[in-house]
Amino acid sequence: MPAVTQHQEAPDSLPKDALHQHVGLAQLSSRLVNAVWRGSDRVNAQHAVVPTGFAALDAQLPGGGWPCQSLTELLQPQASLCEWRLLASSLKRLVSEGGHILMVGPPKRPHAPGLVQLGLPEKVLVWLAADTPSERLWTTEQLIKANPRGAILAWLPQVSPEQLRRLQVHAQACDCPVFLFRPELARRDASPAPLRVVASLGMDWELHVQILKRRGGQHEGTLVLPSIPSLLAQVLTPRLLQPSQLLAKKETFHVNALGRAANQRPHQQLVSL
Amino acid sequence: MSMHWAALLTNDRTSNSSACDMAGIALWALQFTPRVTCSGQAVMLEMAQSLRLFGGQAQLHTQVESGAKEMGVRFTAWAPTSLAALAFAEAGIADGFAKPLAQMLDLLPFDCLSAVRVHAATLARLGCKTLADVRKLPRSGISRRFDKELLLALDQAYGLRPEICRWITLPLSFAARLELPGRVDTASGLLFGARRLLLQMSGWLAARHAGVTAFTLRWRHDDMRARTAGEGGDITIRTAEPTQNVDHLCRLLAEHLAQVVLLAPASDIEVLATEVSPMAEKNHSLLHDTVKQSEVLGQVLERIEARLGKKRVLLPKLVEDHRLECMQCWQALDSPRSNAVINPTNVPQPAWILRTPLKLAMLENRPIYQGPLLLLLGPDRVEGSWWHRTQSNEGTSQSKTVQRDYWVALSVHAGALWIFQQRLDAEDAAWYLHGHFA
Repeated sequence: MPAVTQHQEAPDSLPKDALHQHVGLAQLSSRLVNAVWRGSDRVNAQHAVVPTGFAALDAQLPGGGWPCQSLTELLQPQASLCEWRLLASSLKRLVSEGGHILMVGPPKRPHAPGLVQLGLPEKVLVWLAADTPSERLWTTEQLIKANPRGAILAWLPQVSPEQLRRLQVHAQACDCPVFLFRPELARRDASPAPLRVVASLGMDWELHVQILKRRGGQHEGTLVLPSIPSLLAQVLTPRLLQPSQLLAKKETFHVNALGRAANQRPHQQLVSL
Repeated sequence: MSMHWAALLTNDRTSNSSACDMAGIALWALQFTPRVTCSGQAVMLEMAQSLRLFGGQAQLHTQVESGAKEMGVRFTAWAPTSLAALAFAEAGIADGFAKPLAQMLDLLPFDCLSAVRVHAATLARLGCKTLADVRKLPRSGISRRFDKELLLALDQAYGLRPEICRWITLPLSFAARLELPGRVDTASGLLFGARRLLLQMSGWLAARHAGVTAFTLRWRHDDMRARTAGEGGDITIRTAEPTQNVDHLCRLLAEHLAQVVLLAPASDIEVLATEVSPMAEKNHSLLHDTVKQSEVLGQVLERIEARLGKKRVLLPKLVEDHRLECMQCWQALDSPRSNAVINPTNVPQPAWILRTPLKLAMLENRPIYQGPLLLLLGPDRVEGSWWHRTQSNEGTSQSKTVQRDYWVALSVHAGALWIFQQRLDAEDAAWYLHGHFA
């Protein structure tokens, strides 16, 4: 996607040129140029981070990973869509350091054998079946205050900005990453979480990730991250690695079937054929 | 061997102290030293051996004094002998180690020592005011005119003769009772009194090197109760791991008491340690303490379970089975964990499953879920378990046999799914959604 890469480079290159024109930075030493902080720079990590396992995503996140000591909001078009595909490799790292995975109010029943295949042994999993919004909030807050090792995963479909602010204040004293899963509809609402990420599925075993909000400059465009869930990577044949090709052949029957396809590429291919 | 005594003064000489309170404080004090003795209105602790264990004199002093204040002790004094400590406590001097003992004792009025106080009238007529004045009198004269105890007490206070104490022994089981100062109408109001009893219990546990896994709080209704209310009630609280931590026990108790309704106002409460198990002391790390965190997590999970209810904080247990719904079971926090090694299945497994499989709608003989599904991989045939039968509510037994072909299906909107086709079932031959590879 050439359009996207242009967008990503734009904020980095523009101010440098502007600075050159105004001050004539060419004469100044390189040390001085490096000392100038520009608004588009991403903030250096003040806190510990956990690498996400995706190099492209690490490059765009402040500090190079999921932040500790703050909330991270993950927005998805529907619940139980791509939580584990996005987080599995960072959770694996946290678990190997002796942490627990604390799940507050997951939308479906977690399947331990499946999670074991992701590298999360069953001994570290804790399912906190909190149902009502107030129970979920209380449980999440208690866990954040306890400052456990590992990660806190909380599904909070209904939560107000004030409640999030309260969680964020507590999270500043918590050394483990806190992930809040919310519906994509919440992207227009204000939120005190320092990092907000929208994740959706692409057709060819990939995740489409947008960073709505981060410390430092704004990020535009969509990151495309390859990810195949659990052991499927071993059994998928090369043909199955690109399901969009397969689907394109059937698309003729199902154009009006239900809803809108997330990826319009199959249509384009049909036309080009 | 120099001694290090603390005197914990409970009440004024004038007001009558309750015996229960003294015993409670003595029990609590046993966590610092095995040498605890009661005399009059004070509890005396000999702690020369404990100085290093508790991190030096200053730390031990603050720890004992802050704890004693919480237990309702009026004044704490420190001195090299027990009688001197008691005298300092009565005179209101906290630190008897500031100057040499004889210098400090000489300045005190003579009625600080109870054995001297008996002869207050005679001594006053002789012109004595301080202990120094009493000591100046000739010893042979004192022993003739007064009793033997006076000289003995003086010598013991000044450290010239050894003291003999009856040490308090640790009871085998713990039960402490507290009469509430007023009638308590709400269950959460019992918490304040219960905390004091729990403090005693933690002292007792520390002295026994044990932790409590279950304790009972009993309350008795006062005499003006309604006839239907009964004598009282009790509540037993269990913890997953043996603990001595009062704050944790209090929070657990608060969560449980929040669900209790008192039938009548309560007048007194009692705490019993019902189940006690020995606890190994943790080695303290020289560097940053990381071991403690997981221990804290266990306590938090317990507290959450107390609020949300049983079966809401769940830990997984893997079971060797081919059927997806039987591969795991989620257990409550305190259920026993097995260390059996389960061979993990090598078939790709979804990360989420549905409790009951969702029957999928069909379009042109193909299953649809949020749009058409693309069947990627399969079939993975799972069948058998005809021997597994369960009793349904009506009393008829139901077989849990499965005959399924599992497929990995791809949906444009919902991602990779784990769906199955029910086989060999004339009416119910249908497609079901069972899991999400999220």
